[in-house]
Amino acid sequence: MIDFIQMLINGVAVGSSYALLGLAMVIIYKTSEVPNFAQGEMALIATYVAYMLLEQYHFPSYLAFPLSLVFAVVLGCVLEFTVLRRAKDPSVLGMIIITIGLEMILMGLVSWKFGAEQKSMPFPISPYDSVMFGEFFVSTLEILTLIVALCTMIVLFLFFRFSRLGMAMKATQQNPMAARIMGIRTRRILMATWGISSLVGASAGLLIAPIIMQPYMMWDPMLKGFAAAVMGGMTSLPGAVFGAYLLGIIENLFGGYISIEFKSVVAFVVIVLMLCIRPSGLFARHYVKKV
Amino acid sequence: MKRNALVLLLSGVIVLLGLVSGATAEEGVTATEIHIGQWGPQTGPAAAWGSVARGTDAYFKMINERGGIHGRKIVYHMFDDAYNPAKTKAGVKELQEGVGIFAWVGGVGTAPGLAVRDYLMERQVPWVGPSAGSRHWIDPPYKYLFAVYPLYETEAQLLCRYAVANMGKQRIAIIYQNDDYGKNGLIGAKEELARHGLELVAEVPVNITDGDLKPHVMKLKKSEADVVLLWTTVKHAVMTVGISKAMRFTPQFMSTSTCSDFPLMMHISKGAWEGVIAASFGEIPDSGYPLLQTYKQEAFDQYAAKDERWGVFYTAGIVWAEPLVEAIRRCGPDLTRERLVQALEGLKDFKGISGKISYKPFDPNDPSCRQGQDEVFLVQCLAGGKTKQLTDWASVE
Repeated sequence: MIDFIQMLINGVAVGSSYALLGLAMVIIYKTSEVPNFAQGEMALIATYVAYMLLEQYHFPSYLAFPLSLVFAVVLGCVLEFTVLRRAKDPSVLGMIIITIGLEMILMGLVSWKFGAEQKSMPFPISPYDSVMFGEFFVSTLEILTLIVALCTMIVLFLFFRFSRLGMAMKATQQNPMAARIMGIRTRRILMATWGISSLVGASAGLLIAPIIMQPYMMWDPMLKGFAAAVMGGMTSLPGAVFGAYLLGIIENLFGGYISIEFKSVVAFVVIVLMLCIRPSGLFARHYVKKV
Repeated sequence: MKRNALVLLLSGVIVLLGLVSGATAEEGVTATEIHIGQWGPQTGPAAAWGSVARGTDAYFKMINERGGIHGRKIVYHMFDDAYNPAKTKAGVKELQEGVGIFAWVGGVGTAPGLAVRDYLMERQVPWVGPSAGSRHWIDPPYKYLFAVYPLYETEAQLLCRYAVANMGKQRIAIIYQNDDYGKNGLIGAKEELARHGLELVAEVPVNITDGDLKPHVMKLKKSEADVVLLWTTVKHAVMTVGISKAMRFTPQFMSTSTCSDFPLMMHISKGAWEGVIAASFGEIPDSGYPLLQTYKQEAFDQYAAKDERWGVFYTAGIVWAEPLVEAIRRCGPDLTRERLVQALEGLKDFKGISGKISYKPFDPNDPSCRQGQDEVFLVQCLAGGKTKQLTDWASVE
């Protein structure tokens, strides 16, 4: 029983970083119906910018981390403006391919600029300190990630529901033509979407980097975040978060009780099963056609 | 008539020259050059081992600076395969068939090496010092494949022997990469423990793409192991040690030589690597071993990139290349692959910066004829990434 509960805790702990990337993917998908496979690498660049500010320019962390998040917003906007917007007669498939291309370019850029060797991200919290609750443990970094993930979800939820920009984003997703007729500058909305999404993704990158930092580090969390978003229906913010925690728990229980060798493929089995059985996801209400 | 005779004569000369050069020229060798190739992960999940191929590069440049070998300069062709066997195979074929490589040296990884082993052996291209201690290089032995890296099995055996005999440990577990690299360590550990009437208390496989190792560490913790062998990539080894620390699980960790670059391991583990015991196949980079210091001054200081580090992996690139260079030297000016094989077979207790290297004439029934080095020594990581030598050079027998 102790093992079971610890596995649940571990699942929730690892699910937080999946949740942040899942949220980031959902934000873009909500407005443009494009799953952004460059999400992980956009976060990667912002994370390396933080590293550069800390290690090479010796910025204090209270400056370096916010600055890297600002950079992430700018990067998202710039990529949308300079690459995505330039696509001629964009089809969903074409846009997906563009994001995959971007992913490879960004990863190559990081490898070239910073080298492929593992780095050690200076971080105020040690990734190897933990808090014990009786017999159970959670690392302090995971508690921080959990708090960030839940706060991000709540802020985004409120943003989409109550803010003018959030409403405009929703309108753009539901009917771009009508939104434009109503005076919404849909292109700017899309750009803002990419900026916000990049910001959320970068926060995930900054929280993953203290444990492992190399150009390859975002690939696995990004795929897991994508799987979580698919579980949640790709358009639902709480759905993506719920999917992420569920995926984390499934992975841990599967690794603990069934097969640790096949633990890493569970996420992909989940994607396939969800698309076969309930393609609109656990939380989506109004769409059937997805991904 | 005269003109016809001239054309005929010229044609004859050209054909004759062609025949002559065809009879003596060896692929990848000219009057002034020897073409040597190597792959290595400069990007991807195993990039921490990328400095192996760069170490070889500096070593060859040093050899060239000293005048080359019998008047020939080494032309070194290195490419990034990202630890991806498909890329290794494509890159090796491209260089072998495009440029014409005389011999291959090093090459990080069991899986990437396995992807090209049969190709190179079929073409009878010598390959010296695969940068992985797999049994696949020597069992069955191949005439043109000369292993330098001590077998991972040997490392696992010596680590287990030390744990049981010197430290009095009884509960030994292993976390291993779920491929040949990891399984070789698993086999060695099982063999040695069986000699002591023991069994592994946990065998936990990890896939190279796994991002979360908590379930793995939980299994190790549940087994109540007092020693955990780490047979994984650097990334996973650091994660295992770090997560164990967070879980308040504190066995003695022991690692393969692939994670014996202590300054690097201490840096990326934020100090969690302190106390880990590892096997070492070469002299420690910060030791005062004279030949190593010569290489540092004449190869590393002269040719390494600005941000390069004089570490275990970098010097490993020199370890693999030393017997190849020595054998080429022993061939004399008439360099052919067959003569190179003979020269390598003639190496007896050759000592560079690794343990002693010896080969025997080719015997298809004797794997040891192609295993050059079977010695390692054990080291422990101290504070600040310093190294404490625990044993002398030792082999299993």
